Amino acid sequence: MIYLDSAATSFYKPQSVSRAMRCALAEMTSPGRGGHPAAMRAADTVYECREAAAALFVMSDPTRVVFTMNATHALNLAIRTCVRPGDAVVVSGYEHNSVTRPLHALGAEVRVAAGRLFSPEAVLEDFERLLPGAKCAVCTHVSNVFGFVLPVEEIAALCAAQGVPLIVDASQSAGVLDVRLSALRAAFIAMPGHKSLLGPQGTGLLLCGMDAEPLLYGGTGSQSALQTMPEELPERLEAGTHNVPGIAGLQAGLRYVSPRLADIRAQETRLLRQLAEGARDLPDLELFYDESARSQVGVLSMRSRTLDSEAFAERLAEHGVAVRAGLHCAPLGHRSAGTIETGTVRFSMSPFNTEQEITEAIRILHRVL
Amino acid sequence: MQRDCLILFRSLTYAQRAERVLERAGITATIRKAPQSVSDRGCTYCVKIHAARMERALAVLEQTRLQTGRVFVAEADGTLQEVRR
Repeated sequence: MIYLDSAATSFYKPQSVSRAMRCALAEMTSPGRGGHPAAMRAADTVYECREAAAALFVMSDPTRVVFTMNATHALNLAIRTCVRPGDAVVVSGYEHNSVTRPLHALGAEVRVAAGRLFSPEAVLEDFERLLPGAKCAVCTHVSNVFGFVLPVEEIAALCAAQGVPLIVDASQSAGVLDVRLSALRAAFIAMPGHKSLLGPQGTGLLLCGMDAEPLLYGGTGSQSALQTMPEELPERLEAGTHNVPGIAGLQAGLRYVSPRLADIRAQETRLLRQLAEGARDLPDLELFYDESARSQVGVLSMRSRTLDSEAFAERLAEHGVAVRAGLHCAPLGHRSAGTIETGTVRFSMSPFNTEQEITEAIRILHRVL
Repeated sequence: MQRDCLILFRSLTYAQRAERVLERAGITATIRKAPQSVSDRGCTYCVKIHAARMERALAVLEQTRLQTGRVFVAEADGTLQEVRR
């Protein structure tokens, strides 16, 4: 199989990830649930993972790194903290349902800074126009459908100037691009562990630039005599037993990614360009490709002019190429790009993909179309 | 005999952060569950250091703005003497 669906879940992981998870299962219990060695080993692992995340995302205080089940959980925490029913919220036109559904459920007034695909300037102009009077802004760093890199630094500066808290969805950028909480001055940055951070499914992180309200209430292993949740992060947001094997795996992923960030981006960009160049001469194919390579990373969407997107992906799967077709849980992004009726077929890279794999994928593309 | 000092924290994570800050400052510290008798709000954790390093440890923690809880010194008979609230 040639796996090109890493934007959904990274499949190729360093061996250290599964090793760390096996070690956690064999030797650790849960942090904050005892003073015995198995609990304290778990506590050390969990804290070391917070430290690794704080180092990668340039945070001085590891206690503001909160573990979640996934990015959706992290985004729900952030949105429920910042947004009240009826509040005006500015979002980019490339948000995932993990942002738009919680806002819809809250009854927020959603203003969409749609912006043209691969035009950071257009997105920025829309944010500037829509921000006055907003209570919150939410922006994905990289579109999960098109790999479009949004100008989050500039959007963050606009939000800071107007005192609007910003929530950044770093689901597709964490582990590929430079993401810094302090530089962005974001209220929150949310991300999953199982994509480019190379951790296991069922892990996620919320980086907190401000205090937050819990979604879940329950045991934290601290201040147990109180019936209210602790005020302090991270315990305030981490009710219940931690996913220690998952966190151990995530820590191994963070350790792998941290010193290689520039190389990972370079490799994914090289592969994306190779795929685009190899597929562009197919007359039946429409590519969503930023020729300048300035505003795209890791993801290349395409659609056939004659073949349904799901049928297209099925044909690729029959030839051993794993991709994802459809709306990718991001109908807003497809509306902004004009692909809502057809969806797209998405190819997404991993640092472990090779040029040979891309060459073979191009050969198969020519065969199935 | 070397006496121990217990510095209480509101959470395990705060105690872990304090332990690392102290270790980096050259002060040996270990995390323990705090005795129930001194845990006002129920389960909590503390950092154990040598009592002789207490003043320096508290200064280091204050510099890093790490909020501490109650501070105790363990007497020879095992009783805890509160030295700071």
